[in-house]
Amino acid sequence: MRLHPAKKILLHVGVILAIGVLAFPIVLLVFNSLKTEVDIFASPMGPPTQVTWANYRQVLFETSFFTNLKNSAIVAAATVLLSVIVTAPAGYALSRFRFLGRTVFSMWLLATQSFPGIIMVLGLFAVLTAYSLLNTLPGLIIMHTSFSMPFAIWLLKGYFDKIPVALEESAQIDGCTRLQSLVKIVLPLSVPGLLAVATFSLLLSWNEFFFALVIMRDNAHYTLPVFLSRFLGSGGVVQWGPLSAAALLVSLPVFLLFLLGQRYLVTGLTGGAIK
Amino acid sequence: MRLEPLSEVRRALPFLTPALLVLCCVSLFPLIQGIGRVFYAYRALTQENVFVGWENFTLLVQDPTFWRAFSNSAIWLATSVAMMFLLSYGLATMLNSRHLHFRRGFRAMTLIPWALPGVVISLTWRYIFLTNGPLNSVLSAMGVANPPAWLTNPGLALWTCIIANIWMQIPFVTIMLLAGLQSIDQQIVEAASMDGANYFQTQTRVILPSIKKVVLIVLTLESIWTLNSFDIVFVLTKGGPGSASITLPLYAYQNAFMYYQAGYGAAIGVVILAVLLTAVVLYIREVMD
Repeated sequence: MRLHPAKKILLHVGVILAIGVLAFPIVLLVFNSLKTEVDIFASPMGPPTQVTWANYRQVLFETSFFTNLKNSAIVAAATVLLSVIVTAPAGYALSRFRFLGRTVFSMWLLATQSFPGIIMVLGLFAVLTAYSLLNTLPGLIIMHTSFSMPFAIWLLKGYFDKIPVALEESAQIDGCTRLQSLVKIVLPLSVPGLLAVATFSLLLSWNEFFFALVIMRDNAHYTLPVFLSRFLGSGGVVQWGPLSAAALLVSLPVFLLFLLGQRYLVTGLTGGAIK
Repeated sequence: MRLEPLSEVRRALPFLTPALLVLCCVSLFPLIQGIGRVFYAYRALTQENVFVGWENFTLLVQDPTFWRAFSNSAIWLATSVAMMFLLSYGLATMLNSRHLHFRRGFRAMTLIPWALPGVVISLTWRYIFLTNGPLNSVLSAMGVANPPAWLTNPGLALWTCIIANIWMQIPFVTIMLLAGLQSIDQQIVEAASMDGANYFQTQTRVILPSIKKVVLIVLTLESIWTLNSFDIVFVLTKGGPGSASITLPLYAYQNAFMYYQAGYGAAIGVVILAVLLTAVVLYIREVMD
């Protein structure tokens, strides 16, 4: 089928317009991070009339950026590791065993997605206080892991389903235990799936705001999203230049990792949904 | 194959234990604890939590701010999800077209906002909507005499937040729908148009039913995320001016962490939970059929 040339042009204009709308706020952010405070409101839309690095210098050397960066990095790395360790066996069990309560378990996983943050936080305060985990990074790591679990398990189950059981059966005849066949046969074949889980839980943990805000009590424990929100202060004047620089610095690490991992994430996410 | 549920449980359990442990500690137990809080209230006078039965709920139904938050959340949910679905469906259809050049590049670019932290996105939109910000500078240049104060006008604040939310969710919805569209056999679509189906009929009778599963999971997840969403309203308007743009999660947060009424906040949370569990049950019933 041929498409009318006018329609074809319209199609391209439509897509470019849509992507322009999606990218424009980010372009603004980049512009603002390089502008002086006066320049930002003198020409809100345009590129900087004079490029300044003062905003970046201020964020890097005059704020607690590196402390909060360290917190975010620890929490995200631990969340990724813990997510993979916890969800790989669970995904394997869902894929390979027809156990009683399998459906209930899957539904419970989906239902956890809908639990309102406020109830979970109020309930968790009791748990976290009991184990002295309030205002600590491990408390937040366990929380973030629990958020990434439903999606991660669902995604990995989809991957494991595609790996022929016959591969494992022959290994088991040779004396391989179930755990060994998971670690030695199934996991090496599911590297794209594991990368998808890693990318997903990394994004989730790095970007999560609400729990990081309420569980942590002082700046020494805040993660980067909370660090950013503190630029808004309480009603005072917002310094948009340094704020934009900080926002870009916070986004940069995950953005780069996202570019590397997005291929796996997209096939992983969508693969499970289509079948 | 004959099912042996009990022996299968014994074999599956070692693999499920870590996940079950995490789920019980940070999902099941806190949920029960959190719901339990609705029966308690903090009395400032004696500085203690006392059992009050259903009092938090009877206060809730008489609280005009709660009803404001409730109707705001209903508008927020319905408009956001409907608009993000329509826009993403349009974009996904365009990205799926065989006549589009640089398809891979365009698809990758669509995803960019997804990688940014919600707080960064919210802050950027707060800047765009400032009274002396970029949007109004464009409107002035186009000859609008008095561009509105988007964030502080009671009639606009909520809609401003909705626009930011739609923008933020479009990448995820588009990519999911696009994957669905790619799985459709083009011959079916061509057969439909040869049988005389017009564009609208092809979309609603052929394409949408073929991607029903993706549509359902996307709508369910987006409904959950949108109703529970906190970052955008918190950063853009803090629910203001007054309570013009307050939503249920924000009002619950304010009660629990600013007014020290954890029980009242939990009661609002239970209202959200009830709505969302209904959505999840509807989804499961639809999928199980």
